[in-house]
Amino acid sequence: MSHDLNLPGSPSTPAIQSDWQSGRLAMQGDSYPENSYELFSQVIDWVEAFLERESRSLTLVLELVYLNTSSVKAMMDIFDLLEDTYQGGREVAVEWRYDPRNERIAELAEEFKEDCSYPFAILPLEVGS
Amino acid sequence: MNLLSLRDNYLQQRIMLCFNGPISRSLIEEIGHALRNYLNSQSAAPSSAMDVFAVYIEMTQNIRHYARLQDYGEEEATATIAVARDGDGRYLVSAGNLVEDADGQRLVEAVESLAGLDADELKRAYKQQLRRPRDEAATSGAGLGLIDMARKSTRPLEASLQPLSSSQSFFSLTATI
Repeated sequence: MSHDLNLPGSPSTPAIQSDWQSGRLAMQGDSYPENSYELFSQVIDWVEAFLERESRSLTLVLELVYLNTSSVKAMMDIFDLLEDTYQGGREVAVEWRYDPRNERIAELAEEFKEDCSYPFAILPLEVGS
Repeated sequence: MNLLSLRDNYLQQRIMLCFNGPISRSLIEEIGHALRNYLNSQSAAPSSAMDVFAVYIEMTQNIRHYARLQDYGEEEATATIAVARDGDGRYLVSAGNLVEDADGQRLVEAVESLAGLDADELKRAYKQQLRRPRDEAATSGAGLGLIDMARKSTRPLEASLQPLSSSQSFFSLTATI
């Protein structure tokens, strides 16, 4: 058992929740902190710890809206960790949910997906008009 | 102070939002918030609004990052930022700051080298830069941000360098969306 993350989020940082028990990590909102490494290093630490100590599957559920380039780099590091794990024969998955009115985030998710061979779903959220 | 001529100048250049002064992390957020609200109220296409915001963030964070690396004091660390529309309704995002001459030259060359790339080449350059080791990427500075801005622009980025003193210049960058 490890400490789960439960970060409330701010205008420039996403809300982040991890659930060790169910093997889920979720993030919602905008991500454009000046120092994205500071924010994401705790997320990367959690993912690494989970992958090391558990043999269960891990699912990322993302509702990220805007990412600055340094957040994109940090997310790529996380997706690469998942790729290594998947190549080692373990189940991992990403679900990226987005507002269909914002095609830019779907395009970004597609570019991430290009470099991943594990299940990576990009799902439009249902929105009221 | 002649505010009326300032106002006329803004109107003439179709400047919707402008800032000049020391830029902080929280100011970047506040101005960004105002920019998003403004774009929404103008019924800008969501993808254009997103691109304008993204370019604004990369430009201002690059300026903050550079001023920190140079250990600039408040006066040297000021940024000049303007968001305008051109006659065809496209958005122009511009930002300028003081730089050391050699860095300015390097930046202008980097912008010029991106100008010749098409969308696929820019995407390849972006992915390549994304996968460079963090230390290496840090010393080259602004690499990923510049490519990202170039990808979001409908025209090549425009950079200029104007000398301010014997060793420093004013670097300005404009993206068209």
